[in-house]
Amino acid sequence: MAKVLEGLRSKTVGQPWFLIYRRKSENLFFRLLMYLVLVNIAYTFLYPVLYMVSTSLMTIEDFVDPAVYYIPRAPYWENYKLAFDGMKYDLALKNSLIIALVSAVGQLVSCSMAGYGFARSKFPFRDLLFGMVIFTFIVPPQTIIVPLFILYRQLGWIDTYNPFIVPSFFAHGLRGPLFVIIFRQFFMRQPWELEDAARVDGCGSMGIFFRIMLPLSKPALLVTFLFSLVWHWNDFYEPMMYLMKPQNFTVPLRLSILQSTLNEVTGGMAGELFNEPLVMAACFLVVLPPLILYLFAQRHFVESIERTGLVD
Amino acid sequence: MRRRLTLNQQRAVQGILFIFPWLLGFAVFIAKPFVDSFIISFNTVDMMAGFSLKFVGWQNYVEAFTIDANFVPTLLRTVRDMSVNVPVILVFALFTAFLTNQKLVGRAFFRGVFFLPVVIASGLVVEQLFKQGAGTLGGASDTLSALNLPGLVTMYLGPFADTVNSLLSRINLVLWSSGIQILLFLSGLQGISSTQYEAARCDGATDWEMFWKITLPNLTPILLVTIIYSIVDSFTDKMNPMLNLIKNYAFTGQFRLGYAAAAGWVYFAIIFAIIMVVVGSSRWWVFYSGSRD
Repeated sequence: MAKVLEGLRSKTVGQPWFLIYRRKSENLFFRLLMYLVLVNIAYTFLYPVLYMVSTSLMTIEDFVDPAVYYIPRAPYWENYKLAFDGMKYDLALKNSLIIALVSAVGQLVSCSMAGYGFARSKFPFRDLLFGMVIFTFIVPPQTIIVPLFILYRQLGWIDTYNPFIVPSFFAHGLRGPLFVIIFRQFFMRQPWELEDAARVDGCGSMGIFFRIMLPLSKPALLVTFLFSLVWHWNDFYEPMMYLMKPQNFTVPLRLSILQSTLNEVTGGMAGELFNEPLVMAACFLVVLPPLILYLFAQRHFVESIERTGLVD
Repeated sequence: MRRRLTLNQQRAVQGILFIFPWLLGFAVFIAKPFVDSFIISFNTVDMMAGFSLKFVGWQNYVEAFTIDANFVPTLLRTVRDMSVNVPVILVFALFTAFLTNQKLVGRAFFRGVFFLPVVIASGLVVEQLFKQGAGTLGGASDTLSALNLPGLVTMYLGPFADTVNSLLSRINLVLWSSGIQILLFLSGLQGISSTQYEAARCDGATDWEMFWKITLPNLTPILLVTIIYSIVDSFTDKMNPMLNLIKNYAFTGQFRLGYAAAAGWVYFAIIFAIIMVVVGSSRWWVFYSGSRD
């Protein structure tokens, strides 16, 4: 026993257990501890989702019954049906998808062009302008919301998709500057030789960009598209500002008026029907599309930032 | 007769063409609103009369700081939350990145789980979840309460107990917003070449020494990016009370657009000052290795 302890101490003297780099630790005890910590953190992260799913399948009796813990007596799907109706999910889904998809495409095109311009061309005030990109990133939306609202109102854009879609085609919109920065960092790492060769062969700047650089930048394009899609989907602040009529509401906005819509749909029954399991079912419907996307594209989300070289 | 452009001039023109959409967007959607907001903040706006302005000087700012009972406390709370949350997020993200950078069974699963909140953390959904106590139950919170941490904090930390305990009660929520940071640190860790570690090991360095002398200095550029991202993220977070306060000034009750613009400007000035301090101090602590042009 003493010998084991001695061995343990000699291997770990002067070094905390968690700083064992890529070298495989021979120490079983510390490996176990590490898994314990990881599982604990993973549980912290998954808990709200598990709570959401399990509660959404409960009847209200199950929910208030302390004997029912996590697993409902029998899955109660009625919550989902009510939530679907109460959020007018089909309508809201259509609104959300149009905003998210069109904006994502817009940011893809405009941010990649801007990123390429900043990465590969020399023109007066280039660095100053790129500084402005970073500046844009740190300006909080609250600061410019008032003039923007007035502008959109004067343009007649309130209650249309334009406040989300149009800026995204000009490399702005939701976190647009971040995407410009990602693309710039990505293009800066590409070899000049390809570009030079194409230029010698008589290819113009536009040709180089569309026929050589864009096909090369699939990882950056993918990360921009996925993030833009998910961020637009989850956005709440801006749709709340610019959409007034319920029929234009996105899915997260619908969640905020769930109770009143339900009242309308069921003819004043919401008082009895509105409860925690129902809200959780509605929440799950809100996160479901990004969740499905994530299940299929998880690898791309997680690996993408590394491959785009954002951090260099 | 038109003079032909030199090659460099042609390239410059093409570069400007590439950034032209961005430039246009910047002028219309950022620069002009930014300046307008500054002007509006010194006026009152009459929404009914076609947004006509009436100059009132510093009145909006004076009111924000001396009369308004909500503005300064909310502002201080936002800054306080940021200054507590950001270090916690950074340490947690770095720690988690370390763990998931090792050879693990189920590494892809853990990484996938840690990034999950970025994908599904829709503002209102998170609010609903954490309103129902999902923020204080389960996982890290349970572990902390099991260790009686809140009690110990109150006992030993005295004046800071409030801040720390409010953090503890939100710990799951804070950890939930560290997905991007974990990812940034992970890519940073993978960018450090293994030759440095091998050389250090040959010279007899311990893991502890290697962490402080190789890993951390090499991570500082990413640390800077991550800090700025975290600060901005914290200040523009969906659940940030300031966001709603300014919106309510502008779009409920009396529609005080001028006052809302002034509040927005104070808010911006504070964020800008904090970020400038971080960036300004970075030349003392950020270390760039290798050749950079």
